[in-house]
Amino acid sequence: MQVSRYDTIQPGEPALELHNVSRRFIKRRERSRSFQERFLRLLSRRNVEQEEFWPLDGVSLTLTRGECLGVIGPNGSGKSTLLKLVSGILPPTAGEMVVRGRVCSLLELGAGFHPDLTGRENVYLNGSIYGLSRAQMNERIDRIIDYAELGDFIDTPVRHYSSGMYVRLGFAVAIHTDPDLLLVDEVLAVGDTNFQHKCLTSIRQLQAAGVTMILVSHDLASIQSICSRAIWIRHGKVQSDGPPLDVTLDYLSQLSVDEDAARTQGGEITDMEKLERRRWGSGKIRITRVETLDADGNLVPSLNTGGPLTVRLHYQAPQRVEQPVFGIGLHNQSGVHVGGPNTRTGHFHISFVEGEGTLDYHMPSVPLIEGEYLLSVAVVNADDTETFDYHDRLYPVRVHAGRSSERYGLVQLAGEWRLASDAEPGLPIDPSLAAANGR
Amino acid sequence: MATSAPVRQSSQGGIYGQIREIYQYRELLRNLVISDLKARYKNSVLGFFWSLLNPLGMMLVFTLIFGLLVPNVQIERYPLFLLCGLLPWNYFSASVQGSLYSVLGNAGLVKKVYFPRAILPIATVLSQLINFLLAFVILFAALLIFQSNFSPWLWLLPFVLLIQTIFTIGVALILSTLNVFYRDTSMIMDVLMLAWFFLTPVFYSTALLPDSITLLGVTLNPQRLLYILNPMASLVNMYRDLLYWGYRTDLDFFLRSAVTAVAVLLFGAWFFRRYSDRFGEEL
Repeated sequence: MQVSRYDTIQPGEPALELHNVSRRFIKRRERSRSFQERFLRLLSRRNVEQEEFWPLDGVSLTLTRGECLGVIGPNGSGKSTLLKLVSGILPPTAGEMVVRGRVCSLLELGAGFHPDLTGRENVYLNGSIYGLSRAQMNERIDRIIDYAELGDFIDTPVRHYSSGMYVRLGFAVAIHTDPDLLLVDEVLAVGDTNFQHKCLTSIRQLQAAGVTMILVSHDLASIQSICSRAIWIRHGKVQSDGPPLDVTLDYLSQLSVDEDAARTQGGEITDMEKLERRRWGSGKIRITRVETLDADGNLVPSLNTGGPLTVRLHYQAPQRVEQPVFGIGLHNQSGVHVGGPNTRTGHFHISFVEGEGTLDYHMPSVPLIEGEYLLSVAVVNADDTETFDYHDRLYPVRVHAGRSSERYGLVQLAGEWRLASDAEPGLPIDPSLAAANGR
Repeated sequence: MATSAPVRQSSQGGIYGQIREIYQYRELLRNLVISDLKARYKNSVLGFFWSLLNPLGMMLVFTLIFGLLVPNVQIERYPLFLLCGLLPWNYFSASVQGSLYSVLGNAGLVKKVYFPRAILPIATVLSQLINFLLAFVILFAALLIFQSNFSPWLWLLPFVLLIQTIFTIGVALILSTLNVFYRDTSMIMDVLMLAWFFLTPVFYSTALLPDSITLLGVTLNPQRLLYILNPMASLVNMYRDLLYWGYRTDLDFFLRSAVTAVAVLLFGAWFFRRYSDRFGEEL
């Protein structure tokens, strides 16, 4: 293991070099946290069962100056360990690492803030944690306060801050430390949309100024929009490395495979109690299975924004039932009912059902933006007075961003942008003019 | 065409690199000391007086007990005699107690961001040093009022303080590391510090110890042993020589203490450096 760190970076030098870097953790079944336990263990002469695992296993990586690397992978795949090695919190177990320039890791939600100190005092404290002197902080304090948009709150103890204010202040300090290499771990997901925009703008400016960045995130859309390169870490190894779009798509396809495997293993619905509470109806018609299919009729647990989806209902009616109405519903994670097509509103008349059969609802293009959704299915009688079977939000459906980069709202409003050439394109709205017109 | 990188000093070199790095982060050291003091004094003048209450209370208790238990052996101006030993001892003891949790208590920070970890125990000791200096002002006033015998070698006092600080930082580095790996270090230290207190001539004079005792057939000189084995005994006596007795401190005695302190610091720094790499995973 060899780690070299240089305080400055010369043009043309790589900002970060990893050669076959590995990191081992030892999971001890029983871990001696005290002399007492250690002593008792000596007496009992029992072998301590040690289990090793390697969150990073032979990772090689070279980052040139100004590159922005997105790191993706499932939880526990070693993403955060990578950042910890680069920042120096953990040493690598094996391999060689060269880091050039000042490293700054964006602290998690105000870690390092002292609740009793005011925002201003915390700016100085945080700056010193990053290794900046008082004089350097004096130079920057006005810009930082301005950036954090805290107004008079800057002289209030941070204990009274909202979480958004915490993040704003933390981010403001971090980007004003003049880092050469900025490490960001899942921090951008917090804060309101306006501030997120501001963060993105700043990140782009830093990039333009030649700051190298490593971004760890589960938000594939932001990796795609911010980063110039991405790697996907799987079982401690770099599984894929290249343009963010390619890497995220690689990752998504593997994700579907994994989800499929999990589903076939887990069976249909195992949690009986959950089922009881979320399923009701007289049972004259029973929905026995629900499947989600892609365009080729393959079972899929997820789809990409804008992609096709077919919901297939398997039903069973012991006796003939006249004019049933089938429907499906989709809720998003925040409980918003995003859609609920049924056979009546779809003017699809079913005169009767008897025995077993299937019913498909085919959607050529699902405009939902990335996220987890829950599918409900139901069958009722013609005038909606009797519910035969109702499965309330029983089936999870995952929508991946795919090639879409929509991140706001619920759906991707398909359309195209047009610029009229005889107008005056790009004319900024002058706020003073607008105000004058308003008067 | 690849050109080799210009040779530059890595920021994680040996002991020199360590010191350089701590110097780079001096602002953090300063901030930690200030916030520690602020928390202790809660921004009030009264807070400072509260911190004096402990030594004054102990002075009262020891004066009474010592007077009752060993009435034959009277030490002149006992309260002054006691304070000259008690304040340095309190500085040491509070630093030790504080340093045990200096890394453990900042786990959140240590796991999230890199900075030279040694800053944490050092900050604890320095904030106790400031506390000690403030109490010293009061002690000096008392010494002047009661016309203590100041030594002509009084100018050595800052050096004694320096030696004690060096020794204390060394101990703090070791203990802050140990407590991360073995959480009962603090429990053991509770007992050890009590024993250490009694083995240090804080409330008694070394002159009261017998010249020789026979233990398992070996004749020992407890006075000499105390000085050899317990750096705090030498330190407390140096303070007393300068402030209370008005003696000259023997130079070789002084130098020996200095060498011991530096040795402890070097060992502490090595020990801390050896194991602080693992803080990130142990916390």
